Amino acid sequence: MPLPSPHIPEKFLTLAEMMNISEQELERRKQILQFGPEDEARLRKLAPVSEQYADAVIEAFYEHLLTFDEMKAFFPDPALLNRVKARQKEYFLRLTQGDYDLEYAEHRLKIGAVHERIDLPVKHYLGMYNFYLREVWRHLFEIDRVHPDETLATFFSLMKLTFLDISLAIDTYIDSRERTIKALQQEVIQELSTPVLPFREGMLLLPIIGQIDAQRARQLTEHLLMAIRANRAKVIVIDITGVATVDSRVANHLVQTVDAARLMGAKVVISGISPEIALTMVTLGIDLGPVYTVGDLQNGIEHAERLLGYRVERIPEACGDRHGEGT
Amino acid sequence: MDVPILKQGDYLIASILGALTDTALTRLQENLVRSVRKYRSKGVVIDVTVLDVMDSFAARTLRAITIMTRLLGARVVIVGIQPEIAFSMVQLGLNLEGALTALDLEDGLAMLKTADTKEQDRLRRHGR
Repeated sequence: MPLPSPHIPEKFLTLAEMMNISEQELERRKQILQFGPEDEARLRKLAPVSEQYADAVIEAFYEHLLTFDEMKAFFPDPALLNRVKARQKEYFLRLTQGDYDLEYAEHRLKIGAVHERIDLPVKHYLGMYNFYLREVWRHLFEIDRVHPDETLATFFSLMKLTFLDISLAIDTYIDSRERTIKALQQEVIQELSTPVLPFREGMLLLPIIGQIDAQRARQLTEHLLMAIRANRAKVIVIDITGVATVDSRVANHLVQTVDAARLMGAKVVISGISPEIALTMVTLGIDLGPVYTVGDLQNGIEHAERLLGYRVERIPEACGDRHGEGT
Repeated sequence: MDVPILKQGDYLIASILGALTDTALTRLQENLVRSVRKYRSKGVVIDVTVLDVMDSFAARTLRAITIMTRLLGARVVIVGIQPEIAFSMVQLGLNLEGALTALDLEDGLAMLKTADTKEQDRLRRHGR
């Protein structure tokens, strides 16, 4: 049933927006790493040098990476490997090009998201950063052995930026796992939560188990209303034995469901209100209004049968119970 | 376009055929009440199956019709409210309090007949 819901389509948001990474957040992350303008200046100065050793570093890295069998599977053909290497070089050079702004962060997040999507293990991701840092360190010292202080400062700047990248990349992993888990959870809940069972001609049984929240109440009502039409139901028994707590919100949802069913010409009986729930409801001053309620499911079904004009009788002969005979 | 009102024995059937303007709704209200008077009907079925929107004015008018008709001694059953409409109506708090409802025209007419039979029984017993 198509119902309007306020929902911003996610594909129109950037990754940074989806993960709540704003200017301020990026600034905070830099503060945590003590990454300042002087670091940016040093990295910019490193740009021409880094172009000299970029290819060597990347070649060495992939040679190392491909010694792992599980990594070989990611690069089935050499063309792909070359493409990835070219990308890697872009990424590598971007480290020393300055302007570490939101756009930079977005680019880093995208790379993280891509790696998460292909299920690249985090350990290899971290291994790559580690390898780069060590290789760059080696190259820097080979190039300039005269000013060790300056070289060290430059290296530290690069390390800070690398850790900024790592923090962003790891966050994409966490974020996307959370999303997946949440989606799976919702799916399971939706599958489990709302059976609408035809019990007799014109009668439906709706057992509710677990918590009722706004979304579930909505879904429950939708299912029920569709089932009323499909089964031409006149009486519905909603059994809330499995609902642990009834607060005013849950009561409100129930009243709405009952009202909606009534609009479609069906009567609702709510069963399974335990003494504890009855007590809480009175204490909290919750009023189910005109909703008809009974204690347990048996009473609920019996009442529903009466409403529909059924009379259920026990036939002693049928179950071999002869105690009533001849006395 | 006016809503046709059909006479079927003791009952009237108002079958809404398309989206209604506020004026058309008001006219339906007048026509129905007048027809109940004229034909001395015992009940009215209003069929809203085709409506895919029910705003507060429509809901209020339906309620008004129910109350006015009751004053004339007839029952009103509103039939054919779609699941989507029922759902959005309760969300908006339009629950047509006090009005009789049924799934469709058939059920609605059956409901009126049952109610009448019950009342006649009661009157007969009372008379004895």
